[in-house]
Amino acid sequence: MLQKLLNGLAIGSVYSIFALGYTLVFSILRVINFAHGAVFTVGAYLTWALTGPQVGANGALANSQLPVALPFWLAAVLGALGAGLLGVLIERAAFRPLRRRGSDPLLTLVSSLGVAIALVNVIQYLVGAENYSLGTLGGSVSIAGATIRRTQVAVFIVSMIMVVALTWLMNGSRTGAALRAVSEDAVTAQLLGINVDRLIWVSFFLSGFLGGLAGTLIGMSVGIAGPYFGIAFGLKGLAVIVLGGLGDIPGAVVAGLLIGVAEAFVPGEYSAYKEAVAFVVLFLVLLVRPQGLLGRVQIQKV
Amino acid sequence: MRHTARRTAAVAATALFLVGCAGEEKKTGDTGGGGASGDPIKIGVAVAKTSNVALLGQEQVIGAEIAEKFFNDKGGVNGRKIDVIIQDTAGDENGAINAFNALIRSEVVGIVGPTLSQQAFAADPVAEAAKVPVLGPSNTAAGIPQIGKYIARVSSPVSVVAPAAVKQALKDNPDIKKVAVAFAQNDAFASSETKTFQQAVQTEKLELVTVQTFQTTDTDFTSQATAINAKAPDLVIVSGLASDGGNLVKQLRELGYKGALIGGNGLNTTNVFPVCGKHCDGILIAQAYNPGYDNPVNKEFVTAYEAQQKKKPPQFSAQAFAGVQVFVEALAAMDTKEKLSGMKLPDLRDKLNAQIIAGQYTTPLGPISFDPEGEVKQAEFWVARIKMGADGKAGEFTIVP
Amino acid sequence: MLDALRSYDALLLQMVVAALLALSLYLPMMAGQLSLASPGFYALGGYTAATMSKGVFAPPADGSFPVSALLLEMLAAGLLSAALAVVVGALALRLSGIYFALATIAFVEILRVLSLNLNITGKAIGIFGIPQPFGDKLSYMWVALPLLIGVMLFVRRLERSRVGRSLLAVREDQLAAASMGIDLTRTKVLAFTLGGTLAGVVGALDAHVLNTWNARQGTFDRSILLLAFVLIGGTRTYLGPVAGGLALTYLPEWLRSRAEAGVLPSWVSTFIDEGRFIIFGVLLTVGCIFFPRGLITPDLLKRGRRFGRRKQQPRPDVTPDASPGTPVTRGADA
Repeated sequence: MLQKLLNGLAIGSVYSIFALGYTLVFSILRVINFAHGAVFTVGAYLTWALTGPQVGANGALANSQLPVALPFWLAAVLGALGAGLLGVLIERAAFRPLRRRGSDPLLTLVSSLGVAIALVNVIQYLVGAENYSLGTLGGSVSIAGATIRRTQVAVFIVSMIMVVALTWLMNGSRTGAALRAVSEDAVTAQLLGINVDRLIWVSFFLSGFLGGLAGTLIGMSVGIAGPYFGIAFGLKGLAVIVLGGLGDIPGAVVAGLLIGVAEAFVPGEYSAYKEAVAFVVLFLVLLVRPQGLLGRVQIQKV
Repeated sequence: MRHTARRTAAVAATALFLVGCAGEEKKTGDTGGGGASGDPIKIGVAVAKTSNVALLGQEQVIGAEIAEKFFNDKGGVNGRKIDVIIQDTAGDENGAINAFNALIRSEVVGIVGPTLSQQAFAADPVAEAAKVPVLGPSNTAAGIPQIGKYIARVSSPVSVVAPAAVKQALKDNPDIKKVAVAFAQNDAFASSETKTFQQAVQTEKLELVTVQTFQTTDTDFTSQATAINAKAPDLVIVSGLASDGGNLVKQLRELGYKGALIGGNGLNTTNVFPVCGKHCDGILIAQAYNPGYDNPVNKEFVTAYEAQQKKKPPQFSAQAFAGVQVFVEALAAMDTKEKLSGMKLPDLRDKLNAQIIAGQYTTPLGPISFDPEGEVKQAEFWVARIKMGADGKAGEFTIVP
Repeated sequence: MLDALRSYDALLLQMVVAALLALSLYLPMMAGQLSLASPGFYALGGYTAATMSKGVFAPPADGSFPVSALLLEMLAAGLLSAALAVVVGALALRLSGIYFALATIAFVEILRVLSLNLNITGKAIGIFGIPQPFGDKLSYMWVALPLLIGVMLFVRRLERSRVGRSLLAVREDQLAAASMGIDLTRTKVLAFTLGGTLAGVVGALDAHVLNTWNARQGTFDRSILLLAFVLIGGTRTYLGPVAGGLALTYLPEWLRSRAEAGVLPSWVSTFIDEGRFIIFGVLLTVGCIFFPRGLITPDLLKRGRRFGRRKQQPRPDVTPDASPGTPVTRGADA
């Protein structure tokens, strides 16, 4: 029982931190950034690249030794920062031009999808599709009779630190207040003298940073399983942010943990259906509480 | 209505025009299929260079490229060079069909491919209709050679080797009683391989305590690992691919599993080493290829591969190499009887197909031949044990005698 | 010409299928609903045809398979998809905008996991060796092309019919439509069901074309690709999705043919070959930015028609920007 709960929380914390980046952008722009899964992947690969590894047998850089060899923690921070910058670049390339024209918000689904396809294939083009390992933190610890892997504890702790930091940023800083203002009502925020473009920029940076860090954390726990390894999280992340209430930051955290736990409690003989749990939950939640778990009913303005 | 008709016609015409343009790029047809005696003989390879099965496909590309150089250095087909043309199938059925068609347009004598069994079910009929011989390098599902007369494969369905691996585990530890099985449910190969394993478990009168499933795209296996550990098995059998299978092993070990492990054929690649690291040590692997296999062609293949990649070749590379090799040797055997340069392409393909089935080949996979349907008959299989180096990075497959 | 066509038979069929599936996404979009459910119905249709053709219609020993059986399967797949679409639509269409879209994604995923687990769908390996009604692939065009043209004519008629105008009214302004007496839910469910039915019919056809069917046919990736067809092609006329489907399916193969044509420097060829999905991704993004209303817009058609009559150069389009047709909404309702 406790074992399942811990397993669920460990994977759930990953869903949460992944979904945070998604939901942050949604809260500001009301669009889904499909490139988030790719940013997550890039974050993991950047960290890996900065630890000075040997590239595998495929891709344009096959068999070369990468020049920069930093300690893991520094590489992880720089990797996340790099992913943050990538987030900003994506905003400039795929979101801003469309926003300026006042295009259909749906179009950003496709423009960000294009970025995702390109990024994943750039990785593959450069370093091939092989598995790479990231960091070494083996073994497990026992908590009240339940066993849990050390990396999972580390992932859980870092995720929760990130959640707390983000919550503080949103609720305790000027930037956070401005972000919340924009997410409530962008037009009014602009009238109040808030530089909306700058805040969008900030939210993409934060989103990319969190996504990249999540990629590194997962990579540390399970290795980097090729350029597509963030995509699976992308889909599940959608379920998480809806369950949490689109754009709702605490909601996303709770929802991520809940879906993780729900999956962990699927009985062994039905483990084949585990993959569908998140989506059955998503479907049911949408029908019963479309505003999400913690959300309040939004009144549609006409 | 008139506008509609006109507009619809315009769209249809545009479609035809686009395709027509593409068609004009290359002359099609079968003029002088054997080609002049100086032209290289074209052998097609259609595997996944992109998409999420690229990990397997790129190993096949390396194997095919090494084969091209290797046989050309040896004089090609009785002095005539071979030209290995590689087309990307990506990961889906349509991509495989398109790659096959592109190769057929390039007038290849035959095709090695595609990567996945599901792709083979869609693309092989295309080659069958065009009467182009196909050798599946990694399609292990039941029913592939039965697709048609021109379809054969060099990848053996591993029903032979699975029981051997279980027997070996029992030899290591005769006290094994309880067995847990896990397999990748969305992978065609893993889900058929697991049946063979489960049968072997029954034959050996062992108790199957749990069957866990996962997806090849999964990364977190703690719930499966916990469920397995809860049953305290003495042996765990994993059928999956490198990253998922490797992660399951790693997480199982980190969560305290101490017993024996058997990995299916999908784990027979050096790609699992970075995933499970030092925890890979000791896994018994059911192999259709072993880099340490002692025959001259394998030694040369391994040397060539190591010179280029600085590690031992994986099974997928060896199978792609064997695919090209079968074509080259069958062509050489035909050429000795009747000069290839005199033959029209359709005739050549037809005779080549018959020759492939008739021949015997000594490949890096050991001696292989084909039954009349095109099913491979592989003489040797191996059970290997993974031995990891002290740093937990480099490892090797040592044959268990 | 026929030989050249034959060598591109599979690609031509893929293009037609893509256009049809793009239309199946376009139909609910006519009522303003972003549905990503098409791959789910497409998969269902394919499984229907696969199981029927290997079961009730199992061909005699000589392997002959009548075209009428194929048509019956397409009918059955359409009916089954329609029934499911009514149920799913009635449930999910209480949601709107992005919430509805996400519910349809969940629908596709649930069907995918089910088909990986059920015996009747052949689990991971799927169903293969599906009987062939035609001797060659190109002959499938006798079914596929009339289907495409028929659906195009149908959608065109629909756009001008009373029902169609009520769909468009719901897209433009739900409140106004409701106040005119249009039953919103019924209208949306109708559009969704039309789309689902079409996708099911196409799936049945494609199962025979591909000769095999498995859980990888109906995926989220496919949903997004179809959405790209529609949005790049254009969402304001039925010709948009058709053009988008045809063009974007052809594009990667065109890049492939460029790579192998041997006219480019070898490193460019290598890049195009191995990196063609990089180019595809970049083109999707660039396409959205420079053609935010899609390649085919009603304006373009109008000018094209004028051009056809007067044989004169059309004025270059300098402002493809926001028009009254695309209101700037912060809500995600399509």
